[in-house]
Amino acid sequence: MPYFVLRNNTVEPFFPKTYSFSGYEDLSLVPGGADLCVWFYQAPVCADTANAANQVRGYGEAFRYLLGVLPSVVPVVALTMVCTYSANPVVGNSELAQAVADYNAMLWRESANRTNLKVVDFAAFTSQYPANELMDWKFYFMGQMALNPKLAKDFGHWWTRQLDSIALKRKKCLVLDLDNTLWGGVLGEEGTDGIKIGGAYPGSAYLFFQQVLLSLQQSGVVLTVCSKNNEADVLACWQNNPNLMLRQEHFVATRINWDDKATNIRSLAAELNIGLDSMVFVDDNPSERELVRQILPEVTVPEFPQQPYQLPEFARKLVEAYFSVYAVTTEDMDKTAQYRANAQRAEAQRGYADYDSYLTSLDLQLTIEPANAHTVARVAQMTQKTNQFNLTTHRYTEADIANFILQGGHVWTLGVADRFGNSGITGCLMLTDNRIDSLLLSCRVLGKGIEKAFVRWVLAALKAEGMRTVQADYVATAKNQQAANFYESLGFMLENQQSDGQKHYLANLDIINLEIERYYHINTK
Amino acid sequence: MQRVFETPSLDASCSQNNCPQWDSMGQLNLVVELETEFDINLEPEEIGDMRCFDDVVRIVKSKQQ
Repeated sequence: MPYFVLRNNTVEPFFPKTYSFSGYEDLSLVPGGADLCVWFYQAPVCADTANAANQVRGYGEAFRYLLGVLPSVVPVVALTMVCTYSANPVVGNSELAQAVADYNAMLWRESANRTNLKVVDFAAFTSQYPANELMDWKFYFMGQMALNPKLAKDFGHWWTRQLDSIALKRKKCLVLDLDNTLWGGVLGEEGTDGIKIGGAYPGSAYLFFQQVLLSLQQSGVVLTVCSKNNEADVLACWQNNPNLMLRQEHFVATRINWDDKATNIRSLAAELNIGLDSMVFVDDNPSERELVRQILPEVTVPEFPQQPYQLPEFARKLVEAYFSVYAVTTEDMDKTAQYRANAQRAEAQRGYADYDSYLTSLDLQLTIEPANAHTVARVAQMTQKTNQFNLTTHRYTEADIANFILQGGHVWTLGVADRFGNSGITGCLMLTDNRIDSLLLSCRVLGKGIEKAFVRWVLAALKAEGMRTVQADYVATAKNQQAANFYESLGFMLENQQSDGQKHYLANLDIINLEIERYYHINTK
Repeated sequence: MQRVFETPSLDASCSQNNCPQWDSMGQLNLVVELETEFDINLEPEEIGDMRCFDDVVRIVKSKQQ
């Protein structure tokens, strides 16, 4: 069974045609085999407040019943309840509002205790519409629809975005213009103290925008600058203007010059080692936006508001459409520091005679351990986001990983630290039935031979447990070319190769070299 | 109507009796499409009267005048 919706009203028009639906308020079918279970109970439409409140409490009980009987590996997404109608004559009687608040609090509480339950805030959708658009009573009476079917398309977009954010899919990098984008006015003309940032409008609107961007940066989005300016002017402005929220240290990389922006964005992508399709470009100048759209169609280029006071709404939509994510991991929060440390490592590399002595100087610490309840989310996130060094590109949700382990599979995580900083968990290897199901490393730690040391350590551990052979696969994608010959480089035997680029390997653990160079310090837990 | 009912072809003889997709949910989707497409507001009584292709044509025409 694919996706199954448990509901109390007619909601079919809001979901893709491939979804299945329960009867109204019907819990007789427990979707134990569903890939996803959606809980979408809407507030009862009922003139009698006490009765409605009772129904809401009943829905809460029903949900807890479902959680009790549903296998814990089935992912559940529950929507919060929004009270759309109340004809309560006694204003001081808050029974219904209280029941709805309790119901929503219960959903959030349960989700904190279960990795398979995610809660999405339905109010974030409904609050965009006035009451008379949200509900069309004709369709309620004729078809028991408590949400206007004319909002089906909007809801569909919103819903897809919610599922993406739960799957931790989002853009990685924001490329920002400066003049009339991060502040009002042109720095080159008005000077450090002349630009409008903070204080009275419009400076207050630009400051608000910077605050939103700062919170994005803290959630792990990488901020960069691409601006036509004199670099010295900008650096001085970042140093000396007391009202700026975003300064040099918030940007991982900058291109402040007079080259065309497409070239600059391409070079930012190369420096950060990320794809153009994970970048969003924000610029107030329509001709710059058009240029980037024409030359780099993979880059997302949203329209920019005409007036500074429209920036908060623009920022909200920007976050919702491209950067919202269900939860952030510690790795996300440190992302700016990690990309910066990478730049320093590249700098350090230039001073060493040979690569081995450079690696020795890094004091590389690899932490290898079995995945646990705290790291499962990070493993799932890596399977979703890692493209380049990913041998099979199997995408998994948190529940998939938990299930994988439950079925007897093994998952090891790799943490990498060196004298410049800690990259956190940046690699994983999943193994089931003597076969490497997934092997991936974040591009941030590539280029130091760490991937080989990681796999060799795992294979040595398996050999110590008595395993003699391991199978592995390489599945070619548009982005993982650099990993195509990885298993060959470890001495795996190529068993066969298919026309679509798939390769199957066999490794004899008694024969292949499992020795790890001394400059990798391995820590295990 | 062809789009709503997802049929490869559709002619004037189409009705609730001979089109399996034209059930209550189909009727609802049809109303949403008609109201959006022709910028009209159909009353529940009119919706109840729409049982075949000719009904739909007649009612939509009457709303547009």
